[in-house]
Amino acid sequence: MNATVVLRPKDYKSATKPVWCPGCGDFGVLNALTKALAGLALAPERVAVVSGIGCSSRLPAYTSVYGFHGVHGRALPVATGLAVARPDLTVIATGGDGDGFSIGGNHFLHACRRNARLTYLVMDNAVYGMTKGQASPTSAADWAGSKLTPDGPGIAPFRPLEIALSAGAGFIARGFSGDPNGLARLLAEAIEYPGFAFLQVLSPCITYRPEQLEYKALVSAGFEPLADRNAAFRRLLTDDGFTTGLLYRAPVSAGGSAPAPADLTDETATLAELAGEFTAARLRGAADHES
Amino acid sequence: MSPEVHAGASVALFLAHAVTLEEEAAERYDELADTMAVHHNDVEALFRRMAGYSRLHRDEALGRAQAEGDVLPTLRPWEFAWPSPESPESAALADTHYLMDAHQALSLALTAERQAQAFYQQVADTSHDARVRELAGEFAEEEAEHARLLEEWLTRHPPSAAAALDDLDPPVAVD
Amino acid sequence: MTPSFSLAVTGSGGAGVMTAGQLLLDAAALAGRYGLMARSFGPQIRGGEAAALLRLADRPVESPDDRYDLLVALDWGNIERFADELPLAADALVVADPGHGAVPAVIAAQTGRLIEVPLTALAREIPGGRPNMVALGLTACLAGLPAAAVETRVRRALARHGTDSVTAAIACLDAGRQAAAAHRRARLPVSGDESTADPTTALDRWVLNGNEATGFGALAAGVRFCAAYPITPATEILEWLAGRLPSVGGRLVQAEDELASINMCIGAAYGGVPALTATSGPGLSLMIESLGLAVAAEIPLVVANVMRGGPSTGIPTKSEQTDLNIAVYGLHGEAPHVVVAPTGIADCAPTAAWAVTLAEALQTPVILLSDQALGQTRTIADPPATALPAARRTAFVPGPTDPPTAYRRYAHTPDGVSPMSCPGMPGGQYTADGLTHTTSGVPSTRAEDHVGQLDKRRRKLEHHDYGARWGEVHGDGALAIITWGSATHPAREACDRAAADGLSVRLIALRLLSPLPVAQLEAALAGVRACMIVEHSHTGQFYRHLRAWAELPRPTLAWHRPGPLPLRPGEILEALHHLQAQQEVAA
Repeated sequence: MNATVVLRPKDYKSATKPVWCPGCGDFGVLNALTKALAGLALAPERVAVVSGIGCSSRLPAYTSVYGFHGVHGRALPVATGLAVARPDLTVIATGGDGDGFSIGGNHFLHACRRNARLTYLVMDNAVYGMTKGQASPTSAADWAGSKLTPDGPGIAPFRPLEIALSAGAGFIARGFSGDPNGLARLLAEAIEYPGFAFLQVLSPCITYRPEQLEYKALVSAGFEPLADRNAAFRRLLTDDGFTTGLLYRAPVSAGGSAPAPADLTDETATLAELAGEFTAARLRGAADHES
Repeated sequence: MSPEVHAGASVALFLAHAVTLEEEAAERYDELADTMAVHHNDVEALFRRMAGYSRLHRDEALGRAQAEGDVLPTLRPWEFAWPSPESPESAALADTHYLMDAHQALSLALTAERQAQAFYQQVADTSHDARVRELAGEFAEEEAEHARLLEEWLTRHPPSAAAALDDLDPPVAVD
Repeated sequence: MTPSFSLAVTGSGGAGVMTAGQLLLDAAALAGRYGLMARSFGPQIRGGEAAALLRLADRPVESPDDRYDLLVALDWGNIERFADELPLAADALVVADPGHGAVPAVIAAQTGRLIEVPLTALAREIPGGRPNMVALGLTACLAGLPAAAVETRVRRALARHGTDSVTAAIACLDAGRQAAAAHRRARLPVSGDESTADPTTALDRWVLNGNEATGFGALAAGVRFCAAYPITPATEILEWLAGRLPSVGGRLVQAEDELASINMCIGAAYGGVPALTATSGPGLSLMIESLGLAVAAEIPLVVANVMRGGPSTGIPTKSEQTDLNIAVYGLHGEAPHVVVAPTGIADCAPTAAWAVTLAEALQTPVILLSDQALGQTRTIADPPATALPAARRTAFVPGPTDPPTAYRRYAHTPDGVSPMSCPGMPGGQYTADGLTHTTSGVPSTRAEDHVGQLDKRRRKLEHHDYGARWGEVHGDGALAIITWGSATHPAREACDRAAADGLSVRLIALRLLSPLPVAQLEAALAGVRACMIVEHSHTGQFYRHLRAWAELPRPTLAWHRPGPLPLRPGEILEALHHLQAQQEVAA
């Protein structure tokens, strides 16, 4: 790519037309992502978007960057492997609440702990859209909209921000698909964070949760960025689930010990040296060798 | 664009907003046309036409910039000072439906054009820069004209019988 | 037939049995011998019963013998639990410490040759002395190893503990050797103190286990990323790589589970960095879904699966060849991938390297089926005669006139292999997908795309020239054994013994298990009248796999039994004679 060419958000979109329902919040997230990438002027070939399975996990194919659409729940490990092996890239994992918090919940916990340099963007609509609207981990306990749980799931909803904070994530934010420009700014900050950055995005499902179209009246940009983890915990005690913005940004030095990224040029040992460890000669001392 | 920020905007900054407003309006109409195509709704054609108009208006704005001799500043998407979460002529994604009819599509577009008109009118009313006031006034008048055309168009496309969004087929499981 | 000397050193964990065994094997290497050492443990993490099981020879040896010539017991803690792993020769010598009670019946019943040596008391007489070092001196002497080699090894091994430790250990070795002196020629070892081995060549030999060899082979072929979740008996592969990958610019990440480790490898390999993970049956089961993804998305990677007794948690510390079915047939849908297996401990290095080259060349996952017997048995082996193969991936190169969207990641090609881009390459952008896709990678449900991509992925494997590594063929008898993996060396030794009895038996050991090299196998079987399939399983998975794909001679006898007891040459030889007798009756 010619460095002097200024890329616009639409240059980060592919020719593949989304299969999302008209009115789906994920369109706003796609627009926010392409705006963030354009705003950061990242070369498309140096960005990879990795997803699992679900409506929102279709997103990579709608971009013009490198994409990976894997199996259900495993976006984070794929993204982690890529980010550690290829530290020169910008790696973004995406998916939905079912993918990230239910089948992939364990990876979410450990990605927060591991602090590899990647952004995790979860499009949360509190429902499984691609399997016809079952309750997800973020559905209310009494949400009775699914045939699978006609009386509601009956269990307390997963609280992504609290769990991310508990698990050690250093960058925690919430955005709204109906505010693509604000979301783009949050995403840009997340992408530039030198560690694991988690971004929950409220993204309404028009088909199974049409009541979520009221989100635009409920969300408020109430988070003020905190650098103190205790303060962030306290702030979450009064979180209504619709407050947006950057909740917590750990000072870089306070981040977990991210795996050292690979440096394939950094060869200090040769194969012959490594093979030498196996030789019988190694089993006797240097002194013996001289005697 | 809060009035305070906007009141002091230069001609170049104002025109950067105008160009992006139309550019994003065109892209949104294209996006809506694409999604209607995927869902086999022929209001696709209508959105495609709207996208074409917006692109013409963007070119006009670019022409103004050239005529003014201004090099437009490059802003990052979140650095624009819009009065709303998106640029004002972007048709609201949330107000679409795969079974929407022409009347609903035109209403959506009308809302967008009126938002654009309101944006320009506010600039025309508040800017400290005389040339900005003049340009914004012209643009507001153009948007008002677009709105009038859409209103007329709407009369030719009354709400259809199916517009209650009765969904005869349930959604399907995909993945 | 391999003249050799087999011995076992047993005792409770903490007594230093494994240390003594390993030092003995190392000393044998320094003395120019070949040999191997397996380990047997109780289930306790610390302090359980333990046995170091060694076989020493003047020629390369990778199979355990039928029986042990010498048993040295530091104590008798729970010996009953693994007495059936310690079959003694009729004239075997048992060395027991009278301070630890009477010889248990299960041992006493096997041989009448017993000597009592107060190992603990002898050690106590030496300041800082330890019974296991007394046992080492004694055992080395009875095995005919030169005292100098043992001493050299012990000096080196204990140097970091200071001179007092070394002095005490040397005194213990002497005490043990003197105690053995009376019984010095009680059992003739393979050769005397004066080894005729060329010391230079001997010092170039490798002393390693199959897991280390696997790690080395993978690294040599180009693996630079490993995601690891610990599991017995595969963990040593991961630990070996953890210590070495950084020195060649690579990285290892400890994953939260096997679902993560396989997907981390997929991510790294998608990024252009050759990747491997290692696991055992339960972990492989968890990885299977994602292996299907790697097939569909055409991501190269290697899973080194070190088999253990199954199903479920099974017997993690014992060997079986019972993950063959899941490795070959366990993926849902129709998912062509490669399954290979080393034919021995030393062969783990070149076969692991080969696995990496196959994965990278074919852009598909390769399962390397090792097992506990290969992975955790330490051997003295000649280093590989030829350089290990290095991996090469067919990379995407943008054409000068291609529009940016021209790249078709999954393009149909004559051999099915499509040039692969990876992030960072301008113009190579695509979305790798587990959904059925077009040649560009766009999801599709069209029959043309589904069948086209299925054909393409099958074609990759069918068109590949697997070369000479598909298997080994030894001998040209009209009787044949077909085997694989850790069964190879016991079967080969059975063939050698049969030859000594005047019965010529052909041995065919497969490295390439899937796709089965049918043409090569059938050619190797030319002129064979009767055949025996040898494997370490309860149900004959390998036999059924061969039957599914290849024309086998009639009769073909399926000979197999499960773990935990290792396969031994004698039982295979017996089966061979049985087959031969049947043939004579039939004739």
